[in-house]
Amino acid sequence: MDRTALRVQEIVKDFDGLRAVDGISLEASRGEILGFLGPNGAGKTTSIRIILGIFEPDEGEVSIRLGGLTGRLLKERTGYLPEERGLYSDATVLDALVYFAELKGLRRADARQRVLRWLGRFDLVPWAHKKVEKLSKGMQQKVQFIAAVAHEPDLLVLDEPFSGLDPLHQDLLKDVIRELRDAGAAILLSAHQMNQVEELCDRVFLIHRGRQVFYGTLDEIKSQNGEHVVRLRFEGSAESLAALPGVESLAIRGDRASLRLGRGASPDAFVRSLPAALTVRELSVTRPPLHDIFVRAIEKENHEAA
Amino acid sequence: MRLRSVIRWEFLRTIRSKQFVIISVLIPVIVAIAIFAATSADKDAQQSLREPPPPSVVALILAMILFMGAFLSGVMTLYSVVKEKQGRVVELVLSSISAQEMMAGKVIGLGIAGLIQVAVWVAAAYFVASRFAPISLAALGPVHWITYPLYFILGFMLIASIYAATGAVMKDVQSGGASGLVGLIPYVPIMFMALIIENPNHVLVRIAGFIPPFTPSVMLFRVGVGAAATWEIALSLVSLTVGVLLTMRFAARIFEIGLLMYGKAPSVRELWKWGRMRHTR
Repeated sequence: MDRTALRVQEIVKDFDGLRAVDGISLEASRGEILGFLGPNGAGKTTSIRIILGIFEPDEGEVSIRLGGLTGRLLKERTGYLPEERGLYSDATVLDALVYFAELKGLRRADARQRVLRWLGRFDLVPWAHKKVEKLSKGMQQKVQFIAAVAHEPDLLVLDEPFSGLDPLHQDLLKDVIRELRDAGAAILLSAHQMNQVEELCDRVFLIHRGRQVFYGTLDEIKSQNGEHVVRLRFEGSAESLAALPGVESLAIRGDRASLRLGRGASPDAFVRSLPAALTVRELSVTRPPLHDIFVRAIEKENHEAA
Repeated sequence: MRLRSVIRWEFLRTIRSKQFVIISVLIPVIVAIAIFAATSADKDAQQSLREPPPPSVVALILAMILFMGAFLSGVMTLYSVVKEKQGRVVELVLSSISAQEMMAGKVIGLGIAGLIQVAVWVAAAYFVASRFAPISLAALGPVHWITYPLYFILGFMLIASIYAATGAVMKDVQSGGASGLVGLIPYVPIMFMALIIENPNHVLVRIAGFIPPFTPSVMLFRVGVGAAATWEIALSLVSLTVGVLLTMRFAARIFEIGLLMYGKAPSVRELWKWGRMRHTR
């Protein structure tokens, strides 16, 4: 069965002669979280607005296939947590949320019931009849999240969902996002915290200057990148490690060393060649974190452009 | 279905707002009661005019109330749009409905609130006036009953759509800019009100009655003094309807583009370009 929920083909968008989005294509499937990453001003928000039908692309096409229907766009079946948060601040939490669910085509009674259930999930029931502006920032954030999900969208776009939340609520949100994915939603997640992305996403799309930098599963990206990071605790002298096969850089701090194995270097060969004079207490060989890959990819792009 | 939700939401939010309760309901009711109380103490002041005023005076007062109502509802539309833009609600709303639906919902919802407001004012004015003179709404002929609501509703739609577009391109309520002046065009005839009433058949006045932004005010006065011929009323309504449709289309484009722009206010030339755009952003 084809589980593709969203297909974006070669979309282009200009603003006053500046190209904000320059021919990006991607797909998202049901039951998948796709990380949509990029530095500030890369064209992320514009792309998201095109995907959600807020903007019309100058070129290209967005098609959404949900519930057996294929169409240009079914706004009722999408949910959106915008980066710029905003709710009717002088309305009550319940009224505002019910209204937004109604705009997604739910009946009032049904909308009310679902919203109350979500408010319960986020411990917000006592606040249901308070005005939105009376809530703390973290609470408003949760309310905003409910506005995105109360109608159980098939395509959910979350732009910086974790900003402004304490670690406890970040975890709660992560659980909820995973549940929505397991229930079959296709989720587009944009976040600057790469560790969160790594935890949640199956695949990522990196955009820079309106273009695709890379697009694939985390494993693919990491193996494409081809490097390894070695961390070890030791006794003795670690200076000689720099000369071992594949080592590109070495940093020693006290009894800890971290080093980078270059593209194509074999972790196996490295471990076998460790000098006998060195007593290893702890050792880990990993792919570099997404954070590093992201930063290096953007730096490389900037360098090539310059 | 969704449009109904938007209309309902905009309507309820408006009539629950402080501004509406105070300006539209409390002030007229308090003024009416105060005048009532003051005049009931002084028997001589009561119905100091034994003769009913000429129908045209009643009609002109009603015209003025209607036009003020349309104006205030238009201003409410502008505030409502600017507030939503500043509060960054727009993006979420537009991920659910189109800008056209949003604007239509606002104009209709606030229009219904405006009707209620005008009804309260008319009732209060009637109540107060009847203390001084034996007035009767029966003094108004069918021509008033038919044309006044139409001029009011169409006039409001014209003003409200201009204001919705104006609000969409404003950064905040303080910064009016060139686009704010456009919203004043329908009020120009008010400045010449006395002249229009004295010379309702002057050729310039008659022509102005067919030019949509001026139609509501000019025709309310001309019909009020009984100077408008039937064909003139019919033609003015047709031209006003066409004007409203064109204005709404043009305003909807500007509304849609302006809503998600937070930079500097666009120039008049840019607005002209946006309004005529086929594809919107």
